[in-house]
Amino acid sequence: MTRDTLDRTLKILAVLTVFTLPLWVTNPSYLQILILLFWYAYLTTSWNLVGGWAGVLPLGHSAYIGIGAYTSTILAVNYGISPWFGMIAGGVIAAIVGVIIGVPTLKLRGAYFALSTMAFGEGLRVFVENTDRLGSCVLNGPRGICIPLSNSFWNFQFMDKAPYYYIILIMLAIALFITWHMSRIRIGYYLNAGGEEPEAAQALGVNVAKYKVIAMAISCFMTALAGTFYAQLALYFYPKAILGLDLSFEIAFIALIGGRGTLAGPVLGALILRPVSEFSRIYLSSVLPGLHLVIYGLILILVMIFQPRGIQEPLTRFYKWFLDKVTVSRG
Amino acid sequence: MKRTSLWRNGFFGVAALLFAVVMAVSAGTAIAAKENVVKIGNIIPLSGPSASVGVQNQYACDLATEMINNAGGIKSLGGAKLVNIYVDSKSDPTVGVSSAEQLINNDKVNILSGCWNSAVTYPTTQVAEKYGIPFIVPVSVRNTITERGFKYIFRIAAKDAWWARDQFKFLDDMQKSRNVSLKTIAFVYENGDWGVGMAEQWKPLAAQYGYKIVLDEPYPSTSSDLTPVALKIKKANPDVLLLTSNASDAILLNNTMAEMKVKVKAIVGTGGGHADPMFRKNCGKNAEYMFDVVEWETDLGKAGIPEVNAEFKKRHGYDLAGESVDAFASVFVIADALERAASLDPKKIRDALAKTKLCSGPGMIVSYDCVEFDETGQNKNAGIVMVQYRMIGDSLERVSVWPESAARKGFKTVFPMP
Repeated sequence: MTRDTLDRTLKILAVLTVFTLPLWVTNPSYLQILILLFWYAYLTTSWNLVGGWAGVLPLGHSAYIGIGAYTSTILAVNYGISPWFGMIAGGVIAAIVGVIIGVPTLKLRGAYFALSTMAFGEGLRVFVENTDRLGSCVLNGPRGICIPLSNSFWNFQFMDKAPYYYIILIMLAIALFITWHMSRIRIGYYLNAGGEEPEAAQALGVNVAKYKVIAMAISCFMTALAGTFYAQLALYFYPKAILGLDLSFEIAFIALIGGRGTLAGPVLGALILRPVSEFSRIYLSSVLPGLHLVIYGLILILVMIFQPRGIQEPLTRFYKWFLDKVTVSRG
Repeated sequence: MKRTSLWRNGFFGVAALLFAVVMAVSAGTAIAAKENVVKIGNIIPLSGPSASVGVQNQYACDLATEMINNAGGIKSLGGAKLVNIYVDSKSDPTVGVSSAEQLINNDKVNILSGCWNSAVTYPTTQVAEKYGIPFIVPVSVRNTITERGFKYIFRIAAKDAWWARDQFKFLDDMQKSRNVSLKTIAFVYENGDWGVGMAEQWKPLAAQYGYKIVLDEPYPSTSSDLTPVALKIKKANPDVLLLTSNASDAILLNNTMAEMKVKVKAIVGTGGGHADPMFRKNCGKNAEYMFDVVEWETDLGKAGIPEVNAEFKKRHGYDLAGESVDAFASVFVIADALERAASLDPKKIRDALAKTKLCSGPGMIVSYDCVEFDETGQNKNAGIVMVQYRMIGDSLERVSVWPESAARKGFKTVFPMP
């Protein structure tokens, strides 16, 4: 077996594994953990379009998750519109908001962009927590919204976990494809150039700010879809769960630890950090609530010191070494 | 170039980790030994801001469960024992929802119970409804919990709206039995969520009972001077004054009214600040004869209360409270339904619960006569007790006076207030 064949076989196996997983994992609780894992991987992949490629650090992405969840839910509860359409509507609104926020702030460098996105995210949370009604739409302030039960594909509600699993898996696959595709066309090169050396890129005639705003719009659109997905999965959400800093930070942490600006980084980051979070939540949260963020912080410091490009790098090296070793030993 | 190779290589890592997860999963799903038990999943706050009430809830459930199991368990199920599984909700709705999923899917509980905080109960009961597992709500009072057309949710405690309803029922009963005419009414309440919500419920009731509203006065609970409010009450001169106050403002308003010699036929509080021990200490004689609503008091004249309360106090060092009594009674309601269902089929348990009419037995130490659910799953008899503040010796005490069947022995309502 040559190195390439082995590589290809392993990849096909991996894809098959992921797609057939619900056939073996029948316990809904474990499936739920996997769904949330992919949900985070998807969110981080979306975040990565701005946070990774465009060289800025957005720390308010939970705002767009909230916009997605609230838009589709309000449309479904008040007007009977299917969450599938609500999802797109939420995405469009999030993209517009993203552009409005992005145009003035993406010109800022370093901490200023991070701070202004953070302020927007927190502002939105405070606003929603203090608003019971917005016109005819019920937001319920801090109490959140319950989505009425009605299991059907049209209503984006399923009795089993498997449909949710496949939906988020396909969403993740599409997000990864978009990222991969963007990295191969002009916008990807412009963003990368603008993220690393904005002056040099501008001197070469690249309109860095414009491409950053485009990336922001795509990222916000995709993030909002995840908001709708979460709302339909849990059938209940409230501001503290989907808006606010905790979630925004978690996404950024996953990306930074996994490997910012890479394709595999967000997925690997989610795969490694989500279990840490689940376990610390289950076993340690009564002692120290929010401990998982502290653990993330520690991991982040270690990773930044020893692997500034994220843990995807040593893992990739290990994989290459493994491929070489296996193929060499076989002949 | 570099990116595509990362894509390629990273995916292997994904697969490897997923394999690990699968291995862990299959190892974890060993089949547990089958025993003759009924599992009750309790989702209650055991840490965080509501922990103290959550723990009291747990103690009360444990005591009730022990009493039922010692008396032979569920006889129609071959003496099956009740087993409580407690999960900490941390007062967080998201944790409540995921715990309910966990309890239903992993622990395979037969019945769920909880969650104390209305905010947690509201979404968590929806999970139970989705899976068709009966859910007993001992205490959460938010109206809407039983107003969604759910079939598997049963609430023991009175809903929010019934506090207001019983305040008016009490006044009506007093008018009739004491031949006192009450024509005008004044509403004075703190301007937060709770006070404003109560006032919204008072208004239609006042119209229904034919009162004339002579004052409708929200005030900020943080005020350091309530003289203007007291003056307005004096000027409006109502027959009845309904109050919803937090602790410090309840004390301040009461003492200011006493200083100004505001005379009203009946002052009725809505728990909260008026039930605070500080209120008793700081108002003393100024608050004598005032009324307050509460769900339960240790002095209720019902059989069984002294024994259960003594046992509880022996174990934990403090008295039962209204909320722990609801939790205590809820376990007996579950046992009663299981006895009649004679099955662990959730649908049959649900149907048996819907037909509940539990009027006697060691669990019925509640202030009313029977637990019975209406078609929404609300305990239709859940009642409120009216207490009247009375000076006993040197101290102001809360004496249960109404409904008269539950009044403290040797005490009668003093109405109108002298």
